[in-house]
Amino acid sequence: MNIEVEDLHFSYPGGVEALRGITLRIEGGELVAMVGQNGSGKTTLVKHFNGLLQPSRGCVRVGDWDTRTVSVARLASRVGYVFQNPDDQLFCKTVAEEVAFGPRNLGYAPEKVEQLVRRALAWTGLTGREGTNPYDLSPTWRKMVALAAVLSMDTPVVIFDEPTTGQDWQSVARMARVIAMLREEGKTVITITHDMDFCAENFTRVIALGGGQVLLDGPADEVLGEAEILAQTFVEPPQLVRLARRLGWKETPLTIPVFLDACRRSVRKEDGADGAERRFDT
Amino acid sequence: MRERLSFYIQRHSPIHRLNPFTKLTLAFALVLISFFSPWYWTALCLILLVIFPLAIIGRVGREFFAAALRLLVPVTGFIFLMQSLFLPGGETVLFRFWFLRVTLESVARAFLISMRIFGMVSSFILFLLTTHPSELMTDLTRRGLPGTVAYVIISTLQILPQMQAKAQTIIAAQRSRGLAVEGSFIRRVRALVPLVGPLVFGSLVEVEERAIAIEARAFSATGPKTSYREIDDTPFDRTVRWLMVALVVLSLAARFFG
Repeated sequence: MNIEVEDLHFSYPGGVEALRGITLRIEGGELVAMVGQNGSGKTTLVKHFNGLLQPSRGCVRVGDWDTRTVSVARLASRVGYVFQNPDDQLFCKTVAEEVAFGPRNLGYAPEKVEQLVRRALAWTGLTGREGTNPYDLSPTWRKMVALAAVLSMDTPVVIFDEPTTGQDWQSVARMARVIAMLREEGKTVITITHDMDFCAENFTRVIALGGGQVLLDGPADEVLGEAEILAQTFVEPPQLVRLARRLGWKETPLTIPVFLDACRRSVRKEDGADGAERRFDT
Repeated sequence: MRERLSFYIQRHSPIHRLNPFTKLTLAFALVLISFFSPWYWTALCLILLVIFPLAIIGRVGREFFAAALRLLVPVTGFIFLMQSLFLPGGETVLFRFWFLRVTLESVARAFLISMRIFGMVSSFILFLLTTHPSELMTDLTRRGLPGTVAYVIISTLQILPQMQAKAQTIIAAQRSRGLAVEGSFIRRVRALVPLVGPLVFGSLVEVEERAIAIEARAFSATGPKTSYREIDDTPFDRTVRWLMVALVVLSLAARFFG
């Protein structure tokens, strides 16, 4: 499902202009990361995707729905939004009930709800904890419950707000797996993140926001290589990219395999050069 | 940002510079005098000749009159009307209406009561507009108010806007999960459960975190504490306070012996 944003402006009551003319289009099945300093407008922008905020000017369309004409509860069938703090949404006595709340709101049949819940729990590693009270789980796992509670709604678009903050490595790896599964199902995934390594390893498109405007928008390896522009919005390229720059490479390696490939190539080239020099010497 | 619960407006004025305790004394004294004084016009005179000028000297005139217009005029107007209509007694009948009998005496009483209430509330509005709550609490703690009491008052002022913000986030999160908050009454009531749960849990967790945070700053330590805020208490402040006490006593005396 496409998301179209047309000349979107938004001001908070009190006059802070958070978005100043944003136009972009996100195709169905894209993996998009939103980066930028605090206050750059990331959250404000994605809150327009499910109608929590209404444009001051311009418009946002999700598929054929204009977000101004559809209620948030109805948009929830198209756009799932995982909030940053799980404690802002968990209220049921058991994990299973919590995860079933969303699909039930969307009016799915009980069998379908059960099936969706089972799938969401399996994806997030919560199978076997159906009967646990969410508040008996650690914050890390509560975050997984909140995630499952949105995944179970089976929406074509899923938004994550800071999914990796305060999470350990295992939990981040679990998040990455969930994103891969969503990708396989052809869902659009939009993530707000400050974790550039996570961004580099899991997303194909990166949008950098600064001062309520789009600074950069493109394939991850292009955007994350633009250190100077990213610095304007206080984003530092991922560590592999920084290392590659320090080594003087032209490539922007985003994952370890790509980095290692580039590494081998450059070593071979240097070997070759050395060999030539040696030959020259003799 | 979100609306604060405190009325305080940061300005530079002689009233702002007064010691908070002096302003508190002043507010209470104005109320007591207007209630004790046997002279009929006291309350009105205090409003016109003391409270209004002080609001202007305090440079909060606009906010003060806005609050007075929005809050006080309707409330006191309503009280005046009700009291004039229903206060029993009086000889001089002004007019009769259905079963009601409005007398000059009841109107006079009603005017007195509504002026006293107007004076009481407006003097406290003026006090709140010109006094920072933390400054008041710091000053009162230094004068012997238990720290826990000060904390309860201050934290209430701070927690309410925070809870409001949290409630907004929770509503947004649940609506994103397809919770319809619009619709019939039953539907709205049912929609409350997913909102109240996280709010209550969250607040309990926050209370614990707050307790730990303030304890880490030696909240329950015994022994004298110093304050980061320096609050002046000038001889002028003391004079004003004693003058107020004297005036209250005087008005009380006038009522009993005058």
